[in-house]
Amino acid sequence: MASWVESIFEFLFKYRPLLYERGELSLGVSWPLILAGVVAVVLAVPTVLRYRDVRGKSSARDRLVLTGLRTAVLLLVLYCLFRPSLSLSTIVPQRSFVGILLDDSRSMQIADVENEPRGRFIQDTFGPEGSALAKALSDKFIVRFFRFSETAQRLNDPAALAFAGARTHLSRALTRSAEELSNVPLAGLIVMSDGADNSNAAISDTLLELQARKVPVSTVGLGRERFTKDIEISRVEAPRSVLVGSSLIVDVTISQRGFNGETVRLDVEDDGRIVSSREVELSSEATTVRIHFTAADPGARIFRFRVATKEGEMVSQNNQRDQLIYVEDERPKILYFEGEPRYEVKFIRRAVADDENLQVVCLLRTAENKYYRIDIDDPEELASGFPKTREELFKYRGLILGSIEASHFTHDQLRMIADFVSQRGGGLLVLGGRLALSEGGYAGTPVADVLPVVLSPAKDRSEAEELAGPAFFSTLTVKPTPFGATHPVTQFGPDLDASSERWATLAPLSTLNDVTAVKPGATTLLTGSGPGVDEQPVLVFQRYGRGKSIAFTVNDSWQWQMHHDMPLEDMMHELLWRKLLRWLVSYVPQQVAISAEKHRYAPGESVSLLAETDDDRFLKVNNAQVTATVRTPSGERFDVPMEWTVDKDGEYRGNFLPREKGIYEITVSAMRDGVELGTARAFTESEDLDDEYFQAEMRMPLLERVAAETGGRVYTPDTVARLPEDMTYAEGGMTVREQHDLWDMPFIFLMLVGLVGSEWGYRKLRGLA
Amino acid sequence: MLPQALQQYRSLEISDPRVPREFYFSRAAYTGRSRFRNYRSWHVDFPKADRQFLIGLRRLTNLDAFEAENPLRLTDPNLGRFPFLYTVEVGYMALTQLEVEGLRRYLQAGGFLVVDDFWGTYEFENFQDQFQRILPGYPIVDIPLDHPIFSCFYHVEEIIQVPNVGQGMQGGPTWESDGYYPALKGVYDEHGRLMVVINWNTDLGDAWEWAENPYYPLKFSTYAYQMGVNFIIYAMSH
Repeated sequence: MASWVESIFEFLFKYRPLLYERGELSLGVSWPLILAGVVAVVLAVPTVLRYRDVRGKSSARDRLVLTGLRTAVLLLVLYCLFRPSLSLSTIVPQRSFVGILLDDSRSMQIADVENEPRGRFIQDTFGPEGSALAKALSDKFIVRFFRFSETAQRLNDPAALAFAGARTHLSRALTRSAEELSNVPLAGLIVMSDGADNSNAAISDTLLELQARKVPVSTVGLGRERFTKDIEISRVEAPRSVLVGSSLIVDVTISQRGFNGETVRLDVEDDGRIVSSREVELSSEATTVRIHFTAADPGARIFRFRVATKEGEMVSQNNQRDQLIYVEDERPKILYFEGEPRYEVKFIRRAVADDENLQVVCLLRTAENKYYRIDIDDPEELASGFPKTREELFKYRGLILGSIEASHFTHDQLRMIADFVSQRGGGLLVLGGRLALSEGGYAGTPVADVLPVVLSPAKDRSEAEELAGPAFFSTLTVKPTPFGATHPVTQFGPDLDASSERWATLAPLSTLNDVTAVKPGATTLLTGSGPGVDEQPVLVFQRYGRGKSIAFTVNDSWQWQMHHDMPLEDMMHELLWRKLLRWLVSYVPQQVAISAEKHRYAPGESVSLLAETDDDRFLKVNNAQVTATVRTPSGERFDVPMEWTVDKDGEYRGNFLPREKGIYEITVSAMRDGVELGTARAFTESEDLDDEYFQAEMRMPLLERVAAETGGRVYTPDTVARLPEDMTYAEGGMTVREQHDLWDMPFIFLMLVGLVGSEWGYRKLRGLA
Repeated sequence: MLPQALQQYRSLEISDPRVPREFYFSRAAYTGRSRFRNYRSWHVDFPKADRQFLIGLRRLTNLDAFEAENPLRLTDPNLGRFPFLYTVEVGYMALTQLEVEGLRRYLQAGGFLVVDDFWGTYEFENFQDQFQRILPGYPIVDIPLDHPIFSCFYHVEEIIQVPNVGQGMQGGPTWESDGYYPALKGVYDEHGRLMVVINWNTDLGDAWEWAENPYYPLKFSTYAYQMGVNFIIYAMSH
């Protein structure tokens, strides 16, 4: 309610609306007296009737109006004689407690109100010199101060606030302070904050509990709801780990206030070295852009995404965000099973030969029951052809099936390939070819369920037809879909248009597979069109269970390397295959995995670890001995026991408290019955966080919600002077019932004057005076 | 303009070459010093050797190979569509500049060249000179016997000198000129990838061409087929 409306209300009705909200209306006379009055009115009826016949000059309407006005006057007087009053529960001075929660987080240093920090209001109010507000509160209540950022702590001297907290956790602060004051008569809590909570914790349960305990929370919002000028890197979407040398495409969201239409430069830094940058036009309040860079150096790397500070910005700390990415220097193995000698084998191997972080083990069927094995690790590997057991197949993180007919496999092997994706979480890539997909007889097999394209039963063909050539053939000019033009694997240019133009320079390929439809939920990255083919899906993928499956429906991508239209220096073919195969094995789980809940923690914040453990068939293991070894930034090592969560198979949790700043390396190992199931590594960082400077505008909706759901009120520095009085009429704390007379409120007097004046005026008007 | 032999080849097509196949046994049709079509030229043993080898290749492997020969000029823009190329009698090779550029681009892009049927120092030097025009500075070196090209399909343990058909059937000396000792040489690219295989002082093409002849020694034709298959399997996987 606007303050002027509230003032008029208070003038007319003697008290502020708040008192009417919280109080109860009652009459100050006993029921027998009211009954006597009613009897008197009833007795007066014959008298009135007696005068009914008196006519004079008046008409029936005049008598009706005059009788009504006079009756209203009499009823109003009668109401006043009954002593109406407002019954209010009122705090007994100095017998109730009030908790004052003062935001001690860094965002309170932001000087967004008349160039003064938000915390200045708190310092002025509760500083050594005192204030009217502080005095009013301490006159009425026993005041207990709390400082809060991540948690709430008792505070004896508000002047000790440093405004240095790294996070704001409002729900935790409310819970802690209410708990601490649970054994005293608590009139309510007062939160003085900008409401810029960045804990990501739900507050609903806390508010419900406070409501149940009848603890009203009043909030005082400090700061501006909207900055006049600011640029913020509000979100960075990057993977937690990548293979070294991988090309990353990261989505970065830049928010702005007051810089609409201006252009800024977004830089990506790796250890202080700029590895990528691009110009960004700030066309809306939030602009999301994609930026490419290469994770060239292995280890735990901190990539910084930065926009230079512009003049006039209210917060400069939010112009950069750091992202910890574990750049893995390992060599995941991919099994490429090709059913016949094909140039794809040569050129795929050639494309990724220089990639030290990919091992493509090739099993090439060169004749019936004759295989050529390339890049195997030991003589026993694949010695009897395609793996026959899950243990053997699941050692690989990716599987490529070339031109190999489904009937080559046993049903169990086909089931195993499907499980490789769904259960083991591996990546399956199926290439086009004369013995692949529908033409390879895969329709109706477990592998068909996994694939992102719809297969149809292979047509029965006569020997003559077989000799005449393939069942289906077309050349295809390949182009990316809008999604594909900006997908990390198929984007070859800074933006969608450039990427599409790049694809248009490529030579046409050929396909031997009639693929017309993709599965619901699958995503098409590349399509092709050619003679008799309007649009064939060329590169399609879908998530399936824990893994992903990809179909690449052409059979001679090597043309992009050999075709005379392709310049020799063109690296498109190599880059596409490197990116495709890296993508194939990215995020493929290993037997043992470890992750920290967050990639960065504030000092003193507990690091929560989660480990997942499978056996070599990728079945969950609940009885493993799982231990995480933490290496601190200074090189000290300690073990963290991991306990099975019981809630979920194969899941183990543990936590530790970082004592120093820097990057922590966590290595987990799992054993079962004396046999090691595997090890895994992850990194997290303990560092002073700048979270407080992000999304740091005063969040009034949250403060309003806290107040509304607990029965408190919302104030600003301009209206907070009323807070002590408002809190006087509280349900909680030590209270007494007070009666406040209403008969003498100006509204009744004005009504009486108005009614009598109206009667007089009417008589004058009608000549009845 | 197509060489005369190539025009003749067109009339000999035994199947529609437009049928897409994975593998075409492509023979390089190049400019040479020989004035005779069937002597000291690219055309020697053509097309019978090609066809007979393809019969064996299709029977011995599961390769989806086109049944007929596939001669190609080195200046043909479609050369890149056939990443395997066979050539003979390079001792009298005299490439035009366009052919040099065409073959250079082919090899640099990833094409694989098998050289066969040239003998002695004189012919080797001619080929060496020609090759230096194609890829200057790339040395021709011996391929060791433990190289996968000797084992990717057949395990070949020694390099045999395969004589021409006349000497082979008559049981005469197996060498020609001063080419007494056979060698398998190669040229590697800057990444160590084998891109040219050179059969020097040996004639695999004749062994393929006359393999069906009962008077031609089985030892030579067996070796020629084994090496030929190995070349192709290796070329398609490395």
